[in-house]
Amino acid sequence: MTRVVEIPTSFDDQTFDQFAKNFGEPGDEKLLFDAHAANWATPYGLTGILVAGQVLRDSGAEKPLFTIPNDRNVSGYWSRLGFFDFAEEFFELHGKVPKVIPKNKQDVLLEITPIREVDDVHEVVRKIQERAVAILTHELKLDSTSTMGFAMALSEACQNIVEHSGTSGWVSVQSYNWKKRLGRKIVLIAVSDSGMGFRESLEPSLAKHHGDRWGDGPALEAALMQAVSRFRDPGRGQGLQGIRRYLNRWDGKMSVRSGTSRLTISPDWDSDDPRLDNLAKFPGSQIQMIIPEQLETSKGSK
Amino acid sequence: MQLIDLKGILNLTQSPLYNNLVTRSTGRAVRSRVEEELEKIDEAQLAVIDFGQVNCLDFSCADEIVAKLLLAHGTGRYFLLRGVSGAHMEAIEAVLDRHGLATVAEDRSGEVQLLGPINEIARKAFGMVMKNGSAREQDLLESLDYSPDSVKEALDELCTRRLIFLASASYQPLTSI
Repeated sequence: MTRVVEIPTSFDDQTFDQFAKNFGEPGDEKLLFDAHAANWATPYGLTGILVAGQVLRDSGAEKPLFTIPNDRNVSGYWSRLGFFDFAEEFFELHGKVPKVIPKNKQDVLLEITPIREVDDVHEVVRKIQERAVAILTHELKLDSTSTMGFAMALSEACQNIVEHSGTSGWVSVQSYNWKKRLGRKIVLIAVSDSGMGFRESLEPSLAKHHGDRWGDGPALEAALMQAVSRFRDPGRGQGLQGIRRYLNRWDGKMSVRSGTSRLTISPDWDSDDPRLDNLAKFPGSQIQMIIPEQLETSKGSK
Repeated sequence: MQLIDLKGILNLTQSPLYNNLVTRSTGRAVRSRVEEELEKIDEAQLAVIDFGQVNCLDFSCADEIVAKLLLAHGTGRYFLLRGVSGAHMEAIEAVLDRHGLATVAEDRSGEVQLLGPINEIARKAFGMVMKNGSAREQDLLESLDYSPDSVKEALDELCTRRLIFLASASYQPLTSI
């Protein structure tokens, strides 16, 4: 029997839990990932699909089916983001994969890129410096120091995969014009892996201390708010803190989902819940960072 | 004075194409090479760690290279970080704070700064030594508006942490080694 995992028509961090719920905890059944009606997806959503595919492949499950979006603009964008290059490894694709047509508008700052080892992190940082500096400085109006901070934040988020997940993952960077939502341009970074997640990573050092209250939520808080790391080395745990500081200075937003919880550090322009528990379980960790265009009055003032 | 070029070391340990000090394992590999270089240098010499050709420095690399070097050798050697950019300083200051360490850095305009959690008296004393090129204890006691004991304590701390040094009865900046 085939079970359908519906891809939300508008697939971003806000609808991710719908996807996680649809994905569930797969057993022996064959899965069909149905994206035919999809009309919008962010890198956060697309890297999440790849994580689901990776988990199924690693568990030895039968290769799931995947229906490509009917809307050519949508599937074209997914192609441009490099989604299908990796999806074909995990899914039996149904529908026509559009050829990549380069666009003058450089909204894709970094195509979906696998992070498997340290060299991949170096490559991501090198690429983002080549491609994104102009957009960060001219469109988002960040200063040159902050573009280096952007690369640093990206590096720290990516190496979390190499250092902690115990497996590989994905990163992608995209710029948007959030005219309606924010009235400003933004850059969105999505980093996702199918690894052990924060709870399992920190369990040996923290579970006893937390007792019955231990879970994904406290694990996320320990890592993000208290810079706790599974390593005894006191120098560890600074990466996520550094990302937080950087985003705070540039009025950015960060959310980290792991297991059944999501922790969000929101700027004034956002009203997301700081912490959500009891979400649908999803493997690994998913990080999203958003840096908005700077207003003249708030530029780096924090 | 002995110059240790981090970009050169990075290219030997990773790839000749890279100019970003990112990831903890890269930091470990680079520090190991820096320590090999340090073995060739007399302890009384100034080791100048050159960041001039380094583009991005992340926290993990700053921790592995700067913090761990200082933890292992900071009380036995003199270090000056050279060519440090504003973005480098952010990463370096964060790791120094975390470990309670301090170091001397020269930014890309040549200005020498004290980085890390250092109290105000020591910071002012360091500033005076830098400004005057050297300073006798008596001059510092007279110029700084603090009790003599606290000034002496601050000078001792700066010397112990090898942020300045005492020679010919004067406190000297590391740049005069």
